[in-house]
Amino acid sequence: MESESARMTTAAEARFRINAPNSQPRSVKVIALDTPSQRVIAQLAKGKWNRTSFFSTATSGNSIQLKDLSGRAFDLEAEVANANLVVMIASSGENSQAAGIIGEACKDKRVMTTALVLGSEAKTDEALSKTLAQLRPHALMVVIASAEEYIEDMLTALRA
Amino acid sequence: MLTREQNDLLTASGPGTPIGRLFRSYWLPALLASELPENECPPVRVKLLSERLLAWRDTQGRYSLIDEFCAHRGTSLWVGRNEENGLRCPYHGWKYDWTGQCVEVPSEAEESGFCQKIKLKSYPLVKRGDVLWTYMGPAEQQPPLPEFEFATVPSNQSYISKRLQECNWLQALEGGIDSSHTSWLHRGDLERDPLHRGSKGNTYNLQDSRPYFEVVESPGGLMIGARRNAEGGKYYWRITQWIMPCVSMIAPRADHPAGGHFWIPIDDENCWVWNWDYHAARPLHQEEVEAMKNGGGRHVIYEPGNTFRAQANKDNDFLIDRAAQKAGLTYSGIAGFAMQDSGIQELMGPVVDRSKENLVSTDNGIIMARHRLMRAAKALLEKGARPPGADPEHQRVRAASIVLPPDQPFKDAASEELKVRPGLKHASV
Repeated sequence: MESESARMTTAAEARFRINAPNSQPRSVKVIALDTPSQRVIAQLAKGKWNRTSFFSTATSGNSIQLKDLSGRAFDLEAEVANANLVVMIASSGENSQAAGIIGEACKDKRVMTTALVLGSEAKTDEALSKTLAQLRPHALMVVIASAEEYIEDMLTALRA
Repeated sequence: MLTREQNDLLTASGPGTPIGRLFRSYWLPALLASELPENECPPVRVKLLSERLLAWRDTQGRYSLIDEFCAHRGTSLWVGRNEENGLRCPYHGWKYDWTGQCVEVPSEAEESGFCQKIKLKSYPLVKRGDVLWTYMGPAEQQPPLPEFEFATVPSNQSYISKRLQECNWLQALEGGIDSSHTSWLHRGDLERDPLHRGSKGNTYNLQDSRPYFEVVESPGGLMIGARRNAEGGKYYWRITQWIMPCVSMIAPRADHPAGGHFWIPIDDENCWVWNWDYHAARPLHQEEVEAMKNGGGRHVIYEPGNTFRAQANKDNDFLIDRAAQKAGLTYSGIAGFAMQDSGIQELMGPVVDRSKENLVSTDNGIIMARHRLMRAAKALLEKGARPPGADPEHQRVRAASIVLPPDQPFKDAASEELKVRPGLKHASV
């Protein structure tokens, strides 16, 4: 007699998978940590996203302020509080110290963090090391991407 | 998440498909050398990339991979007579040489030249290591022979097996490059499996069930690092290599052999999983080989017959043991690393619907792999660009487990350990 697993793993049975949403839209905050990354997110923000917001950062001492692409200011803590995921974009060799402040805010609120590092191929190993040292303690996942196009694919895959 | 169109693009591998064309840019494992053990041995049916083929070894030991079916009336040449430098169809005596060229049509006069007009499609079949490899692309674009280290070390340092997996190749590959499932699906096996136990790395695994991940592009594919805390503020890294399109190399533990997999499409709903273990610096110990033959590590115990199908399979609900699951002996109730992976992946259905996925950050290895596959397939289609992974330099790499300072990129700090160093053992913890 055919086992249940054998019957239920056929292509015919796959047709009966429930056709109903199995998740709610995710709230994603994409934050550029430096000037070259701001250019990247300005381009990304033109796309069609679900509940994704794009920000640059302005550091002041031990605090940072988030700004959207029109220059409006937002409070980091408040944005993290309503986020499911925070994605930090950094450019190799640039100052990514803001990652520490963002990372602490996310840790307090138990929000997941991902960091993408761009431009490493054009920079030295020391430059990349500097950026990784600043990002690694604060990002569950670090991606060193050779092409900016990857960010759009990643956000789409995550249903951002 | 992928759209239906993207999912179709990445999962369909038959003739004329973009991914099928991508696979045809590489040498692929087709059979174990032991399946054609001697000259004039019986032919073997082989299905790859949705093509029905026949493998055989002629009187002079030449390996052949041809269209399975006789050009006359279409019977399978699997019943053919392998003799006198050819394969003769027993139906009407048509005979083919190892290149697929028909050399005799008994019912036609030799002078007519009719048989010269008949040639079956054939692909090169070469032995490298204990594997017979084939290349199914255009002859003028054939890449150099594969240089994966497991296939170039002496036979007594390497063990290869293959098994049938009854689902699409891509969900199997994705399971293979996803490190985040180890602490869950394989929990309980790390210290019991004879090819994993006794490693300091296991202690790091068990102490820290929430690893951090790092994905880095490599010339041939990706390197995916999982890091856990080690002593003195350092990180314990397990670095997996993915070489396009379908090869994973897994970091070893202690002095156990290092291993990996290929996932080769048979058709869109089935694939071959090739599994290797090898030690770069010594012969495999007898007990290691026995463990592999007995289903240890990434290998399985087969069902009776010559199917290369695991004893635990979907026809018997993977021999699931709910009592063992409840007792914490296995996390899924399925025994053994290999079938834990295969079973989970087969239960997704023959081709998983990725439009219903909800990926998370730790799936970036998978996301990046899909990204690279789509780009490579597009570049091949539009510009004829040779894809990453076909260059032997891309194959001469290793996975590694290693403890490193906290701030260095692992691709640089472990650059020596991540490439083949002949005669030197893998970097392992």
